[in-house]
This record gives sequence, C-alpha cells and structure tokens, in this order.
Amino acid sequence: MSTPEEQVVLAEHPLPEAPGEEHEETRVARRERLRLLLRSKTFLSGALIFGVFVFCAVFGPAVVPYDPLGSPTDILNKLESPSSSHLFGTDQLGRDIFSRVVVGARDILTVAFAATLLGTVLGAAIGLVTGYFRGIVDDVLMRIVDAFLAIPIVILGTVALVGLGPSKGTLIAVIGIVFAPIIARTVRAAVLSERELEYVQAAKLRNERAPYIMFAEILPNVTAPILVEFTVRLGYAIFAIATLSFLGFGVQPPAPDWGLQIKENYIIINSGYWWPTLFPALAIASLVISVNLITDGIARTFER
Amino acid sequence: MDDTQRRVDELRKTSSELENHLIDELVAGKISRRDFIRRGTVVGLSLSSLSFIAAACGGGDDEEAAPTGATDTTEGAPQPGGALRTGIIAPAGALDPLIVADEGGLAVLGQSGEYLTWSNDALELEPRLAESWTPNEDGSVWTFAIRQGVTFHDGAPLTAEDVAATLNLHADPANKGNALSAFGGVLSPGGATAVDEATVEVTLDAPNGNFPYLVSSDNYNVIILPATYDGNWESTFIGTGPWVLDTFTPQQGVTYTKNAEYWDPDRQPLADTSELRFYAEDQARVLAIQGGEVDVLSQFQVVAGGEALLQDANITVIEVPASQHRQIHLRTDQEPFTDKRVRQAMALLLDRPALIDGLFQGKADLGNDSPFAPVFPSTDTSVAQRAVDVEQARQLLADAGKGDGFKVQLSTWDNYEIPQLAQLLQSAAQEIGVEITLNVTDAGTYYSDFWLNSPLGITDYGHRGVPNVFLTAPLESKGVWNAAHFANSTYDGLVADYVAAVDLESQRTIAKQLQELLLDETPIIFPYFYYHLSAEQSTVTGILPTGMGHIDLTKTGFTG
Amino acid sequence: MAIAQFLLRRLGLAIITLFLLSVIIFVAAQLLPGDVGRAILGPFADQRAVDQLNEELGTDRSIFVQYGDWIGGVVTGDLGESYAFRRPVEELLWPALRASAKLALLAFVIVVPIGIVGGVAAALKEGRFRDRFISIGGLSATAIPEFVWAVLMIMIFGLWLDILPVTAQAPRGAGFFTQVEYLLLPALCLVFVLFGYIARMARAGTIEALDADYTRTAVLKGLPRRTVIRRHVLRNSLLPTIAVVATQVGYLFGGLVAIEFIFNYNGIGQLIYRAALQQDFPLLLSATLVIGVVYLVATLVADLLYSLLNPRIRLASSES
Repeated sequence: MSTPEEQVVLAEHPLPEAPGEEHEETRVARRERLRLLLRSKTFLSGALIFGVFVFCAVFGPAVVPYDPLGSPTDILNKLESPSSSHLFGTDQLGRDIFSRVVVGARDILTVAFAATLLGTVLGAAIGLVTGYFRGIVDDVLMRIVDAFLAIPIVILGTVALVGLGPSKGTLIAVIGIVFAPIIARTVRAAVLSERELEYVQAAKLRNERAPYIMFAEILPNVTAPILVEFTVRLGYAIFAIATLSFLGFGVQPPAPDWGLQIKENYIIINSGYWWPTLFPALAIASLVISVNLITDGIARTFER
Repeated sequence: MDDTQRRVDELRKTSSELENHLIDELVAGKISRRDFIRRGTVVGLSLSSLSFIAAACGGGDDEEAAPTGATDTTEGAPQPGGALRTGIIAPAGALDPLIVADEGGLAVLGQSGEYLTWSNDALELEPRLAESWTPNEDGSVWTFAIRQGVTFHDGAPLTAEDVAATLNLHADPANKGNALSAFGGVLSPGGATAVDEATVEVTLDAPNGNFPYLVSSDNYNVIILPATYDGNWESTFIGTGPWVLDTFTPQQGVTYTKNAEYWDPDRQPLADTSELRFYAEDQARVLAIQGGEVDVLSQFQVVAGGEALLQDANITVIEVPASQHRQIHLRTDQEPFTDKRVRQAMALLLDRPALIDGLFQGKADLGNDSPFAPVFPSTDTSVAQRAVDVEQARQLLADAGKGDGFKVQLSTWDNYEIPQLAQLLQSAAQEIGVEITLNVTDAGTYYSDFWLNSPLGITDYGHRGVPNVFLTAPLESKGVWNAAHFANSTYDGLVADYVAAVDLESQRTIAKQLQELLLDETPIIFPYFYYHLSAEQSTVTGILPTGMGHIDLTKTGFTG
Repeated sequence: MAIAQFLLRRLGLAIITLFLLSVIIFVAAQLLPGDVGRAILGPFADQRAVDQLNEELGTDRSIFVQYGDWIGGVVTGDLGESYAFRRPVEELLWPALRASAKLALLAFVIVVPIGIVGGVAAALKEGRFRDRFISIGGLSATAIPEFVWAVLMIMIFGLWLDILPVTAQAPRGAGFFTQVEYLLLPALCLVFVLFGYIARMARAGTIEALDADYTRTAVLKGLPRRTVIRRHVLRNSLLPTIAVVATQVGYLFGGLVAIEFIFNYNGIGQLIYRAALQQDFPLLLSATLVIGVVYLVATLVADLLYSLLNPRIRLASSES
C-alpha cells in the first residue's frame, strides 16, 4: 500500500492515463508535448526567471560592477544603503551586495544541480531495482528508505557536515544521498505499474537479462515521473542548501553564497540594516519559485 | 602632614618588604597611583590603606590613556525591591564548579558562590571570603586570613578547612577540574592547609607573584565549597553568596532569592529576587533586552546585533576594558612562516585602528603583538605601537626571498567577528601577493583538527586579570596551547622571571623585554583587546560586570 | 480484524525501520570528529583531565560495543546520560519534545484549516484570479526559507509594532494564553511555509472530487452545491491533506533548528544540533531515534485515518 509520501507525489503528478498506449512514445507525441510546454504560462514565467539566474551563474563574474570578494579599502564604505552606485547597498565589510548576489547564483545552482542529479541517478537506480525485483530485495531496501525518510534532512546534514567538514563536495553528497530514497519511492511506484505490461513480459520471454530489461526497456518509459521528481527535488535542494549554509555548513567565506550572506547579516537587522539580508533572501525565494513553476508546467503537460 | 606621615610610617613598619617596595615605587613616581592601588591589592594591602597611602605619598595625577574601569552614567539611585531579570549566555554544559569552562556557566557560579577575592572591573582585587593575604619573602607561600561569621546557604559556618579543601579539590588532577589549567605547575593537591579556623596557608610549587589572582573570580571555578561537598552542585547551588537558589530549569534559567544571612553589610542585594535567563543565541539576547524581556544583559558583542544597543536611547551600555583577544598564530617551524621577516610582514598588513573601529565601534584597545594588554599594570606602555605599513611588508617579504608571494590556509571557527577579521586579513594579504584560503569551521572541529597544527589560524582567548596564562601556555616551548610552535629559550627564561617577580617594577622591566622580543619574532599577531560590554534598561542601574563575564547584581535596582 | 492485521503489520515494519534508523544514525555519528572528552571539557582543559574523562565515558571501546550498549539501554527504557550535561537524556529530551510539540500543534491548528479553506476556495474557482492568487501566493510563501520569515516577523511584529514577544520561550509558570502569545510568531513562520503545500493538496483533491462521477450525480439529483461540497468533496480534499501533514511531522519536530535558534526556543531541533556539535553521542543518538519514532507514529496514524476516510482502499492489501 502506498505511503502518504507516495500519495502526495502521485496526487500532485499522476502518471500518464493509459499505460499501454504510452509504450511507444512517438516523436510526434514528444513534439506535441513540447509545444504544449512552451504555451504554458507557468512554465514560461518559471523558465524566464530561472534563465536569468543561469545567466548570472554563467556570466556573472564577468558582468558585475564590483569584485564580489571585495578589496581592503571597502570597509570604509561599510553598510551603505542601496543607492545608484550600489544597487543593493554594501555589507559589513563594504562589499557590493548586488555583485555578490549575482555571482552567488553560480555556487548554489551548481551544488543544487549536482546534488539533485546524484540523488536522481541513485534514486532511479534503487527504484528500478526494487520495483522490478520486488521480494526480499524490495522489502529490505524500502525499509532502509523508510529509515532515511524518518530523519530530518537538517539533522543528517548537520552530523555529516560537522563530521566531514563543510565543502561543496560534502554538501552535494549529503543532499544527494538524502534525496535518493524519496526519489526511489516514486520511481518504484512507476516501475511497479510498468512491469506488468506486455512489452516487459515480451522481453522476459525473449530471455533478456534483468539489467537490460530494467534499463533499456522500462527506464525509457518512466522518464516522465523521473523528470518531474528531478525538478521537484531541485527546488528542495536549493532550500536545503540555503538552510545548511545558514547553519554554517555551506560554502566557506568569503564566497558569496546566499545562505551564508543571510547568516552573516541577519544578526544586524535589529540595528536597521535590512538590505544585506533581504536581497539574498529574495534571490533564494525567486529561484525556488521559478523552479516550482517549471515543475508545475512540466507536470501539467504530462497530465494531458 | 606630620600626622599623615606618621601614619604612613606606621603602616610601613607593619608591611612586608614587598609592600614597602611598592610604596617606594609610588613615592619615586615609577608607578602611577592607579597601578599602585591595583598592584597593592594583589599583594594583600587593603584598599583603604592603599587609598590613604596613595593620597599621602602619591605623585601627580594619573595620565592614563585607557579608561579606568567601567563607566555607568545612569542617573538616579536604585531603589530596593523588585524582580530583576538578567539575560546571560546559556551555559554550554553541566553546572559543576569543577568543569565549567564557558562564560554562561561562570556567571551562574558567581551568583550563589563566592571566591576568596574578587577581581573587579578595574582589575583590582577586592577581599571577599579572604579578608587579607600576604606572601612570604619570595612569594612561594601565601597566607590568607579567612573571614569569620560567614555561613553557607545550608547554615554551616565557613571555616579555613572548607577553603583548603576547595583549593585542593581543584588542584588535584584526579578530579579533572578546569582550574588545573591555572593551577598546573603552581599548586599541587595538599598545598593548601588550614593552619587554624581562620587561616589558610598555601604552599606553592614555585614562587608566584600573582597567586591571589588565581584564587579570585578570575579563576572562576574556585568558588568556595564546604569541605563535605561531594558533587551534584546543580541540586543545591551551594555557596556563601548573596543569592540563594530558588529554582533551576536546565537550558532555561535560574531564579534566586536574596540571602537574608549574607555577611557583607555593604552588598546586601537590592532586588528581592533575581532571575538569570539563558540565551543561546546572540541575536535572541540582544532582542530580549530591546524587547523588554530582560532588564539586564550581562554580555553582548557589537558585531552580533549589539550596534543597535549602542544607539538605543532606552539602553545604557557599560564598557569594561578587558584583556579578551584573538591570537593570529603563524607557525614558526614550518614554511611559509619560518623566517621572522615573513611573520612581521603579515603583522604589518593590519590597520588596527580601522579594525577596532569597524569591528567594535571603537570599543577595544590596540594590540601590539604581545599578551601585554593596556589594562595590565605590568605592561610597559613605552614600547612603540606597531602600525600598518604595506610597503614595508612588501619589502620584508622580498628580503626573505618570498617576493613572489605564497599560498597558505587560514583555519579558525565561526565566532563573532573572527570570520570578518579573517576576511580582512585575507584581502589585505592580497596586496603583497599572499593568497590566503579560509577554512572556517565550528569550535569542535577547529580545536580538535586544526588549532595546534595549522600554519595560520585565529584563536579566541577570554579575559584574565594578569597575563600569566597568555604568556605561558601559547608561547612557551612546552606550552600546551602553543599553536605557533614557538620555541625560544630567551623567551622561556624571561617568562619564568616574570612569573616569579613579585614587585611591579621588576615585572614591568621584564615585560618590556618580552614585548620587544615578541614584536621582533612575531609568532602571534595580537590585533586588539576588546572591551566587555553589558547593557541595562534605562530604568535600571547599578550592575557591576567584570571583564571575565561575571556580573554582580547586588547593587542593581530599578530607578524611581 | 482487518484493522488489527494492518496495525500489526505496520508495527512490525516500523520496528524494523527503527532498528535500521538506529544503525544509520549511529554510523553517521561516527563521522563526528575525534575526542569526546576534549569536546566536553573544552580546548583549554588539561590533557590529563581529558584522558580521564574519555576513559570514564568509555569512548575508546569498539563501536560495536558502544552501539550494543546504547541500543540495549534504549530497549530497556534507558536512553543514556548526556555527556555534556551529565544528566539522563530523558530529562533533557522530554521537555524539548514537549516544546516542539506545542509549536507544531499551534502551527497545525492554524495552517490546516486555513490551508484547506484556501485550497478548496481556489479549486472552486479553478483557473480564475482567486485560484491564481492563492496558488501562486502560497507557492511564493513556501519558497521563502523559514528563517527568513522568522527574521521578518521579528522585525515587524516584535520590534517595529512591538505587539508580540521576540522570543518563543514563555517565562516559567506562564498560563496557556501567554504561551500561545509567545509561540505565535514562530508558528506564523511555519504557517507561511506550509500553507502553500497544504492548499495545493486540498486544491488537487477538491478538483478531483468535483470531477468525480458521484459529485456530478449528486448535483444532477438536485442537491444544493453547498451540501454536495460538504458531504462529498470536503472528505476527499482532506485525504491528501492528511498525507501531507504526516510527512511534515518529521520536519516540524527535528527540522526547525533555524527557527529555534532565532527565537531562542528550546525545541528538540536545536537540542540535537548542539549535541552534534558537542559530540554528545547519547543525547544525539537517542533524540534522533525519538524523532524517528514520532515520524513513524505520525505516518501510521495518517495511514489509518486515510483508510478510514477512503473506504476504497483495502487495509491489508498486497503491495501496491
């Protein structure tokens, strides 16, 4: 029986209606889906905002007006409020916040992407294996998945990062590993419905080996939920990275990491310095929203 | 005048050689009146005698640049009564006098517990459970006269036995006490004996001119406990202090009622009850006083939301110049810092006045790359202050053959302004081609993995009333906190001399040599010594904080 | 009978999961850097003291022995003694758990009704302005990290307007309403974060129910819309909501470290966080296990409710 988590995911992003017919995703069908996607206002607005951040990540360092890492004389301009020369104002060390927010997109996007990718790959693999083989393998792996789900990500993250030291690599590993079980669940559910279908039986009759069936036959037909999961988890990854950075486990200073910026500066809000905290916070919020809009758009096209 | 002179002579006759020497220095103008008083309290002269002698024999006015003690400018006298609420840092562990090692815990110890002496905000020693104290000829045996008529909160009277038992308890390595870091090499178990009901004789391992500081509130673990004490302090908070435990809620706070049997008529608590509230986070603490949830804040930092308090018209800030500081160590036994010219170059990168301004809003003293903070009387203030000089730094690097610069990793942990200090050093270093990568972790990781073996690091040091600990543990060849791996026999010899020296003049002469040696060798950069800041609502007055983090609330009350 | 079978089966699975959880967290905790004695006594303590403490705590024994000790204790009801605070873990754990429960409960009590109402309202005007507003508004609120909300709330309500306390810990002995007053700001932050999620679930459930045959039949039969909504649609919109609420329980207990910090609240999140930093293994391990229990109980209850509300799901079914 499906767990609440599965219910949630399935309720939000139901699988394609007619499994049998989905077996052969023709090129025409794919192109039709793409066209629908490009007409969806949600998808487009999300993609636009996301695109801005991607631009910042790729070209940021080249186009920003100031050095995001600052220079020694900056401290003379500390905590200047937003103005024409400093769009978002300056922080406690006098560095231009606009430049730091723009350049900060790179780290958070790379880490979030890598972590989600890792989690998706791992999760899909686990989901395929457990969904296909079922039995003991399934039971054991699913219990392990349950165990991971019971621990809040912040706690696992804290323990791992205190132990392994904060670094991009550790962040990616931690988040990826924590996400894998969740993604595995969804993939498993999809595989469970797929495996009963004709083409799988046909492949078995042909004496194809299990790995072939899993990865060459079933996998292409569950790309829809995997893709949706990827985008859903990407939003969560950004959120998780910001929170872990806020707790001090993210990238090292003086890197312009958004969570780190909030952590360094929220403590002086009570003295009236709101801008060093507000702009990185808005950046996190709009990035997460854009990812959610993209996810919504994609999910809706699969609903048709 | 005659009469006065006669009184002074009488005093001199009953004073030890040590005390007379001190008076000589005052008369000869070698020390200021303030330093005389301060030093005098250490060697056991009563404050009243000291003031009298200082008035009679003292030279001209003090011309001290550093402010003397705390400044409280609240108008109006405090009224008795009321329920006081004080916000303190949450203690980090169990409240066991033996093992407390954090500022939150020590503040709690000092409410219901008492020390032999009290190191106040001007670094003077006030008598508490010890009425007076004297050293022998060479400072290897100290005799304390224990105050009579004092009772513990459970009614038992305080005797010399209790004092001796407490000191021996803390000096015994088997008890794993935190005070071992102060008593190690100074006092061994059994060194304290009760000669009679009211006298304790402490025989030290080696002469120590500053021993009374080591049984003062500075050595915050050593609250005097009954000789029958057998652990579990948290259930009773037993002590002789002005506040008696009412309730204790771990992680939340402590409430006290005033001690009706308290011995000191001058320090009967004004308020009826006192509550200490624990705040783990700095912002929460600052917000608490801004929001009116507490009347007093025992400690705050400028960079941690404190700036708002400095500007808040409803809040009075009390500054206590102190010796708390940061040590930027440079490993002398490893590249790139083996050549002292490279280390000097690093020290020349910092614009210290700008740092103090930017990081502390001016609430700090300049550091001159030695543990001798301006607040210590033994500090020689004639030694030239190092100032920023990037050109010379570049030159020194070139002379040392590192004109092309180098890469090095700086390790530290995330505490108050330390990450900012690190970043400022990093960006300044860029100008001479030195590339610093930062490794900012948490306290546990830094202290276990990086502190003592990193080539470059920043460590936080709390306040002490005398520089002994700062001189020995981080810098002696065998020092246990020697992150710079500094091994200099001249230095070791000078420090031994300093520790043994009992009179101020010798201490100062040796200090001058030490300061100059350290400026030359620069194993550690001491950029500043920052003040201890407390705050009270404008309706409250009379808090007595110390640089250590203690807060005496007996004279605290609500105005009108 | 089906219920009993179902419960037993779930219980059995839960125990296995808990066991696995204990292994996972124990192994993860071994990652924590070195010296427990040093972590407790601090960097400046005498080395002899540190060595003695380590010996006393038994930190040099093999990890299998240490794990066995801990788990053996837990099973018999002894959660161990905190290294840092030298008192039984229970004494620190239960107050923190109660505190987290209060906050979670307050947040739930506010966000679930508002979320459901919002979701249903949005669904009833699907595609129109109201729907867009609620959906996108909820989405945006969810996307802002809770600690950012916390800071904003404190600034606005605590300092500027000065109508609510800036910390969440009410003074000892405070009455019910005072406690609620103190908890209101952090609860509101959680409401913002969870609203979008719950509203979205309610909305999806409502839309599906509105489309369903039985609804159409009821409408055709002439039942007033309101009755239809109340009787049929609402129950179905509740189903996914229950599912969501259950999954958020773990987050609401252990994941609120940032909020607990900012509001100086002694919840279980910050207890575990500090235990991790101080390498206080007994506290860390036992507390995490307890959160795991809370989560499993919550999902069990949610599943039960779900089945009760949706008779179409068979209780003791085969794997889905």
